Amino acid sequence: MKNFDTTKWILYPFLFLLTLAVLIPILNLLALSLSDPLKVHELNGLSIFPAGFSLINYKVLLSNPLVTKSIFNTFLITTVGTLLNLLLTSMMAYILAKTTFVGKRLVVIFLIVIMVFEPGLIPEYLLVKDLGLLNTYASVILYKAINIYYLFILMRFFQEVPDSILEAARIDGAGHFRIYTKIMLPLSKPGLATMGLFYGVYHWNEYFRATIYITDPAKWPLQVVLRQFVVQRDNTAILGAQNLLSYEQVASLDFTSLQAGTIIIAMIPLLILYPLILKFYAKGALEGGVKD
Amino acid sequence: MRIIKASLQQVKKDWVIYAMLFPGLLYFVVFHVIPLIGMKLAFQDYRIIGDNVWVGLKHFKILFSSPAFMDVLQNTIIISTMKIVFFFPIPIILSLLINEVRSGRYRKYVQSVVYLPHFLSWVVIAGIWISLLNPTDGGINIIRNFFQLPSLDFMTSKEHIRWVLVFSEMWRSAGWDSIIYLAAIMKISPTLYEAAKIDGASSLQQMRYITLPAMMTTVVTVFILNLGFFMNAGFDQVFNMMNASVISVVDILDTYVYRIGIVNGQYSYATAASLFKGFIGVVLILGTHFISKRFTGKGVW
Repeated sequence: MKNFDTTKWILYPFLFLLTLAVLIPILNLLALSLSDPLKVHELNGLSIFPAGFSLINYKVLLSNPLVTKSIFNTFLITTVGTLLNLLLTSMMAYILAKTTFVGKRLVVIFLIVIMVFEPGLIPEYLLVKDLGLLNTYASVILYKAINIYYLFILMRFFQEVPDSILEAARIDGAGHFRIYTKIMLPLSKPGLATMGLFYGVYHWNEYFRATIYITDPAKWPLQVVLRQFVVQRDNTAILGAQNLLSYEQVASLDFTSLQAGTIIIAMIPLLILYPLILKFYAKGALEGGVKD
Repeated sequence: MRIIKASLQQVKKDWVIYAMLFPGLLYFVVFHVIPLIGMKLAFQDYRIIGDNVWVGLKHFKILFSSPAFMDVLQNTIIISTMKIVFFFPIPIILSLLINEVRSGRYRKYVQSVVYLPHFLSWVVIAGIWISLLNPTDGGINIIRNFFQLPSLDFMTSKEHIRWVLVFSEMWRSAGWDSIIYLAAIMKISPTLYEAAKIDGASSLQQMRYITLPAMMTTVVTVFILNLGFFMNAGFDQVFNMMNASVISVVDILDTYVYRIGIVNGQYSYATAASLFKGFIGVVLILGTHFISKRFTGKGVW
């Protein structure tokens, strides 16, 4: 009975405080962004309920061409990028996990060497520049078309598909490409979904490569706009084009609330997918020992 | 000869395999091998027009005689060390605490909340922390004022900014990093605990004599892996939390390379700096791999 009490009276409240330390800063931003601009001064850094209610911040942000374009860019980069990631990674994973061929050891050693030796920023930047990819979506998508850690994790998923099925298909005359498309991919949907989420989260959060490769604001993903607006506190681009609002409305806007709204917008898809992400990620993380 | 001929025949027969391997390999050659070769720039002077000129160790000599580089190296080592000393134990403690929570629903709630920050980008996290540490009405300063302490501008304070790095790293990663320790705890046989309970061991004694020893292999492995990445003091974090007031104490090798290379366009010099960092990194990773293999049977790959 003594142990039961310790857990209940000390541990449970303590862990609850820890979860508050994560939730309050996020809920505070949500409250800021949803408050009435005229009442927002009533809030402090620990408030989790909005003062009054107004969607004006979201209206301003979502009517701003820079913001809407960047949301579109992020969706484009995330979708195309993830599909390409999945295609290239799964094809290579199938070959490495399920076939034997001359030179296989060499390929595996090559991958490990590449994993260890990182060329660093400048040679990569100069390569992207030489390939003429500066200021293109492709620069952000292509430079990380396969993640070797993820490749190894997917190989482990693929290895779970029983060899007997592949063997049967082979006897029926199916080639490797057919086996890959007609058997391997359909049978490994959970593995592919896991990798899809890994890559998807990765693309959604990517800002650095876009910061250095893309100088045209019209091609910026959301995270770059967020960085400029929130981290560097540069509001010229955001507040520049507010022709949809009256002067009074523009005058009443609160810079901090707008920043809060931008952060929330950048989090929304993650939060919606969070239950799914949690389910797949934990399994994948344990199998691959991923640390990123 | 016969072996070569046989292999060639095999290669010819398996052409589909090579064709399917080709796109992936092509990607690795273009985006990994070519930049690797591009590192020769560290020994050259970069020319916009015409070929680069070989200059030997010139850039390294400038680098090692530069006080700025030495500061950056020192910052990297200090920040990495602070993170290992003050952050590393936290996920272990957290996993022990979560493990004591028997109620399934409460446990699930705690876990899903503490894992969440791991999935946010450092841009978002920097935004959250800048607002949390705001000197006028940030959450932390409101708590400080409640205890009669004066407000502090943490983000621009040279004394505090490194601690901001350590604590924001905790906020983001402690929960997620506890997963691997929780997995190690799950593998412990319940019969051990039952036997201990019969012998009258308290839950603290069970933790001390069963759980901790059983986790030790995982703890050592993770510790060694962290050492391997010692030179990465956290680029994304520093890049987003750095500002002009604190740059002298938080500028690390990676942010330095970014600034002198991408911002100032001194490609050769920046490549030399990142080659130096890469060299130390490879030594550390190879070293820790073999140490890890030796002591835990598990390597970096």
